[in-house]
Amino acid sequence: MASDPLLPVPISYIAGSYFLFSIDAVTYLRREHHICGVLTGTLPQIPQQNVFLGLPLKLMPEEARLLVEHGVACIVDEVKAQREGMSALREADRRKYRRELESQGAHAMRLQTNRKEQQREAALKRVDAKKTAAAKKAAAAATAVGEAEGEGNAAHQLLPPPTVPPSYPLFAHLHAEGYYLSPGLRFGCQYLAYPGDPLRFHSHFLVVAADWDEELDLMAVVAGGRLGTGVKKGFLIGGAAQPREDESGLGLGDAGSVRTFSVEWAGM
Amino acid sequence: MADTDEAAIHMPSQDASAHIEVDLSDETQDFRMLSNISFLTDGTQASIPKRGEKDFEPNPTLYQADILSASRQAMHNALAYPRVHHPKNQIIGVYAPNGPAPPTQHTSNLESIAEGSPLPDAEVPSTTAATTTTAVGNVHPDACVYIANPKSNLFKTIGQADRWNRIWLLPEEALFMLERGSLNIHWPRSEVGYDEDEEEEDENNIEDSEIPMSLQAAYAAFASRGGLNSERFSVYTGLRRLGYTITRAPGWNDDGEDATGIEDSGLEDGRKQGAGLAGIYSRFMKWLCPPSTNTALGPVAGVGFHRSYDDIYSKLSIIPWYDPMAVPQAARSPAQAPYRVVFHVYKPSTPFKKSAPPPPDFRIAVVNARAHTSVPTLSQLGALLESTPLDPPTSEKMSRQLYMRLRHGYRNVILAVVDEGVVSYLRISEAAFGKEKLYKQKALANKTQYRPKPKPKPKGR
Repeated sequence: MASDPLLPVPISYIAGSYFLFSIDAVTYLRREHHICGVLTGTLPQIPQQNVFLGLPLKLMPEEARLLVEHGVACIVDEVKAQREGMSALREADRRKYRRELESQGAHAMRLQTNRKEQQREAALKRVDAKKTAAAKKAAAAATAVGEAEGEGNAAHQLLPPPTVPPSYPLFAHLHAEGYYLSPGLRFGCQYLAYPGDPLRFHSHFLVVAADWDEELDLMAVVAGGRLGTGVKKGFLIGGAAQPREDESGLGLGDAGSVRTFSVEWAGM
Repeated sequence: MADTDEAAIHMPSQDASAHIEVDLSDETQDFRMLSNISFLTDGTQASIPKRGEKDFEPNPTLYQADILSASRQAMHNALAYPRVHHPKNQIIGVYAPNGPAPPTQHTSNLESIAEGSPLPDAEVPSTTAATTTTAVGNVHPDACVYIANPKSNLFKTIGQADRWNRIWLLPEEALFMLERGSLNIHWPRSEVGYDEDEEEEDENNIEDSEIPMSLQAAYAAFASRGGLNSERFSVYTGLRRLGYTITRAPGWNDDGEDATGIEDSGLEDGRKQGAGLAGIYSRFMKWLCPPSTNTALGPVAGVGFHRSYDDIYSKLSIIPWYDPMAVPQAARSPAQAPYRVVFHVYKPSTPFKKSAPPPPDFRIAVVNARAHTSVPTLSQLGALLESTPLDPPTSEKMSRQLYMRLRHGYRNVILAVVDEGVVSYLRISEAAFGKEKLYKQKALANKTQYRPKPKPKPKGR
């Protein structure tokens, strides 16, 4: 299994969004902290499809905030960090970096040629030997582009925790209850709540947050209930009962006082 | 491990028919499906695996825990796949942080004209439309990566060439190509701490530091450059992955002028004439049978002889309706961000030429669902639709089918709503119910006796 990353995990802040670029961090946060995010990158091995996506992993501001509050992650101004990191790069680093990448590439190439050899041998046993005459030799070296670099000197590029929407207390509450949460746009809600890892389980709730004293349109409740029942999920509405005490001026509710209600369309 | 993989591979075949309509990208898919194909060692197998099965809720069995950890391991392996470039056919780009510039070749003095203004392009105001003539030719001022050896099929639809036969990429194009492993971007020497006393290894390529840019660095450098943001990039890369050709539209820059006015000026003339003819006709009709000005005094249909139902129906239609074909009287209000067309999209089947792009198949406006939580207002939508050219339902198939006409509409635009990386596409079209006279349809159907009635599509949108 993956090696655990050094804590706190740096979350890259780029163009108003929060990204994770380290595969170890992605696996670790998913396994230990139930944070899944949304994969947004193209998988280089199968680039022409949208079913399986790759790095970077995009985090909701809520997820980034939660990780920062739990002390697991910190926010890094990636644009600044990269610029300063690269201009501080010296010739020796440059050579070392290139050598590392080339050895990675050579390793990948060896794997590939090994596989080709195996295939060819298998083919030799089955088919005539004349076919193999056409087989070509692969070149010796290749270069690979590494995924993560220059994270070491990121400590002084730290940013304050992300600003989050008023639905954050409900998000934090459901997360604390063990749910995995993801953006809910596809089902017309704020979050989708999964009972376990979304890799293995279907979501159970369509989550919509509300303020404690907010007047709800009854039609919205009926619509949500019908929608939820239609897609075999519960419609969950909730919010914080008390404003949070320790926070100054952010106006966020206390995640401890959140109450939730699920609505089901009874069809009578 | 091997057993679970086999179980997973057999499952989809049983219920493949049941899930045929399901969009696989809607839900997180089991990455074990992907791990059945080992790409690093075998590139020949490249079909997308089918949908796997999911459980309802976690239970404390070891069996379930094993499957989950296998899934996670498969995901980890898939994501840890390196981007490998073969030294023979790799494509190397160089990042140009200051925008398009002529090559700096210390050996040549041929470029003395361009040399006079070393970096004027970074300052070119990017308010104008797609291509501005810069010192390096027809290259967009936002372009920031150049490629000296452009050898790839992707360049049929990506990039712009300059006078020196280099191809310049816009930030989204560079990022997309890097992400899919088709491009190796190098840092320029100006950005890395380069020792001046170092010997020049390559006389022709003194800008190239030969340090490959990581994906992380590329996001930091490109994701907020030249009007790009993560929502727009999600849309761009998502459609590119599906095979569409996608280019920036004139509405890309917030303060940019819409160039669509020129685009449908030809239509404008024809429309005026049509409206004129229709106007004469309606004036003639009005003269022939003056409308009863006061319906309070009698029946709406008016008193007198009625020889056909058509007359009666047309008299009964007293509610005014909007004709999308009519020339807009008021000056069009400019479409406001984010409700502006930022992308032109072409189907893979549309023949596309970079030098002369055909009229796009789709026009897309990108909206951030977190920043704009409510449905756009009528005036926002109206301005957005007016910025698109007239596209009446004129095809042969549509002239027969009423519901297709209504669905197609007279102008259309696609809204891409993005919520933290999740994209939903909505098609908005301007339907003209007033133009579809059902009573005339019926008369038509009566005349041609045995025409089967058009069946409405079950897909409700």
